[in-house]
Amino acid sequence: MNEKDFEKIALEWAIIEAERCLYCFDAPCEKACPINLPISNFIYFIKNKNFKSAYELVRENHPLISIAGCVCPEEILCQTECTRGKIDKPIKIRELHKFLTEYFCDNKNLSLPEYKYEEVAIIGGGPASLSCAFYLRTFGYKTVVFSDTELGGIPLKEISNLRLSDETLKRDLDFIKENFIFKFVRKRVENLNEILNSFKAIFIGIGLSDEIELEVLGKDKEGVFKAREILRKIKRGEEIKFGERIGVIGGGNVAFEVANTLKTLYPDKEVIIIYRRGLTDLKCYPEEFERAKKLGVNFYFESIPIEIVGKEKVEGIKVTQVSLKEKDKDGRRVPKLIENSEFIIPLNNIIIAIGQKLEETIFPEIQKENGLIKVDENFMTNIKGVFAGGDCVNGGDTITRAAKEGKLAAFKIHEYLRRI
Amino acid sequence: MFKLRDLSIEFLGITLENPFILSASPSTDELEIAINGLEAGWAGVILKTTSVEDNPVPLKYPMMSSFGNYSKRVLGLGNIDLISKYHIDEVEKRVKILKEKFPHKMIGASIMGSKKEDWQNLVYRLRKAGVDIIECSFSCPQGSMGEAPGRMLAQSVQATEKVTSWVKEAAENTPVLIKITPQVTDIVEVAEAVKRGGADGITASNTIPSLLGIDIYTFEPYPTVFGYSSYSGLSGNAIKPITLRTIAEIKRNVDITISGNGGAYSSRDAIEFMLVGASNVQFCTLPMVYGFRVIEELKRGLSHYLDEMGFKSPSEIVGKTLEKIKTNEELIILDFVKAKIDEEKCVGCELCFVSCRDGGHMAIELKEETRVPKVNEEKCVGCALCMQVCPVDAIKIYERKINIEHYYIRK
Repeated sequence: MNEKDFEKIALEWAIIEAERCLYCFDAPCEKACPINLPISNFIYFIKNKNFKSAYELVRENHPLISIAGCVCPEEILCQTECTRGKIDKPIKIRELHKFLTEYFCDNKNLSLPEYKYEEVAIIGGGPASLSCAFYLRTFGYKTVVFSDTELGGIPLKEISNLRLSDETLKRDLDFIKENFIFKFVRKRVENLNEILNSFKAIFIGIGLSDEIELEVLGKDKEGVFKAREILRKIKRGEEIKFGERIGVIGGGNVAFEVANTLKTLYPDKEVIIIYRRGLTDLKCYPEEFERAKKLGVNFYFESIPIEIVGKEKVEGIKVTQVSLKEKDKDGRRVPKLIENSEFIIPLNNIIIAIGQKLEETIFPEIQKENGLIKVDENFMTNIKGVFAGGDCVNGGDTITRAAKEGKLAAFKIHEYLRRI
Repeated sequence: MFKLRDLSIEFLGITLENPFILSASPSTDELEIAINGLEAGWAGVILKTTSVEDNPVPLKYPMMSSFGNYSKRVLGLGNIDLISKYHIDEVEKRVKILKEKFPHKMIGASIMGSKKEDWQNLVYRLRKAGVDIIECSFSCPQGSMGEAPGRMLAQSVQATEKVTSWVKEAAENTPVLIKITPQVTDIVEVAEAVKRGGADGITASNTIPSLLGIDIYTFEPYPTVFGYSSYSGLSGNAIKPITLRTIAEIKRNVDITISGNGGAYSSRDAIEFMLVGASNVQFCTLPMVYGFRVIEELKRGLSHYLDEMGFKSPSEIVGKTLEKIKTNEELIILDFVKAKIDEEKCVGCELCFVSCRDGGHMAIELKEETRVPKVNEEKCVGCALCMQVCPVDAIKIYERKINIEHYYIRK
């Protein structure tokens, strides 16, 4: 089957799927979408074979729509609210906008206003920053983006090609880089004072670059890795030598991303997720858990690591079992150690995926709270004119939420700059 | 395995094993195809319209196009077909073969002529061949066989009466059906002309002159015959409402037997045709699109319907609806007709709200706390637009004072 045939099938599928949409007024799917994509409208356009307009509509409303088409967890967002789901099955919303970006990506009609306002600095090159740049440009600002690495953030550096192809990524990144960024400065901004006098407004979207370490004995043994470090290496195509049994510590999306990627790349190896809470407490998207099950990832739930064992290299991990009874203030069950329940899980490698954090020493002048940048309802930090959004503010969430915060911050920056 | 009830019905002295026959169409234009249809269970065939030997039939290909929603379902089929390329000499042979092979099925043939001699010659020859019924096409929207170029014969009341009398004179005791067009100012006048001309029945009706569509990028109309096209005859489910009205209007005003034709796509559609007065239902587009196998749905659907409703024979349902069709003036005016939303059924799409707001009487309001809209009875006039747009049939119209509920579709 050649590419044209695929296109034809996709087209037929999209129209049939779009015809199922009820075209709800005040559609609940749109409210559930972090960036309030005009879902019912773009699906209505598809139904009428008005594909180019549908593409333009999603593109105007989501700067990273191609990426979102691959990785947005629609099963916990828009699709859960789809009215059609009350009749039979929810509309496959993510697949529909993915279809648009794959087959109707055409930006020839793009019309942007003349540059009419001052330059705004953006620190960081991930989804929040790119989204902020995108919307600031639509108001007529010149955006200067500072980033010590290539623009693209986590989707570029860490999401494996198995889920997000280079082609898809390029589609969004090139579009933004070419049209919405006035200047890209490849530089790490160490101190805000360096640029504070040059710009009236600054947006910080630096994400969470550090990983939380597992504080157990033996954590420095050979064969212990950090999850995002592994994801980055895989993305760069670097070869990593793994043993036959790989343990992944953690129950969030990063843990599952790394476990699923490894199991896909090395189907013969055993990949085990070790998590201190239970199945119902997992923090990953349900789709990722399902994917892990299908791929054959194994699980040790209610197990807390207490020591990484082995001489120089990892030979296993000693865990102790826990019971989960009381709930903490967030409603999550607190693990309580069960005495004399220790056992060793034999492993050749251990990957730590227990969370991310903001670089501790970054921007000391900015006020932090719970290890994250603190902002007010206008996304402004304690420093006037300095705004922030995305993972460094929300603690790590979806790409679409980061894009939304970048968008809202852009609106607030515009308001702020035009008022002063 | 499951027993089907007796579906036989009398039609102009012929006993049909069920009320479903294959109309004059491509499905009856080849002997082998017609045999397959009869073997599949259709009660009869009307062979595709034939003509005298010296009548040229310049067929143009491709001749079919369709429209539906964008997912390619054929809701309407358009053709620029003409009558059969087989002339009466071939049709005579086929009638004999079919009659011999299927003595208990209805073997009919459709004819079209221009001069009196042609019409009568066709009739004589078919009679001699042993045909059960003769149908006269006064309504093929293609070609120019009427009294003026581009006009269909049945669009002229006088011509209809005259030609009908020629045909009936030649047919003597063989039943004659006149196939008319709904594309006239007054269908009753035409039906009366058919009756005055002496025909035994009317086939109501035929395809409808139409333009199927246009390729907006090449500007070529459909079906495109290498860049150009002509007006099509539209058939298929799209024309069902027009046919229903045509049958009903004839049956209400003229005492004549009717064979329903044009747009029935299911057993339910066929039942509707019979309820407004058709004694049987002809099918063309449905088997053309889905094949002869659809007869199973038609037969079983009718059988269960008769059981459910307690009718003994299909003939009992013919014309059942007619007394319920009134003129607009005769319909009663009720002051307290209102919409009612079933909160249990409502899925919260709010389509009723938006259609009432923009196309009704602004009588449906959104509620803050739930997605189930609320009817403002002071503003609601009971127009039933909301009922049409509701995807889950959660809205009904009722008369508030006497509390009578109106239903749209019996579930």
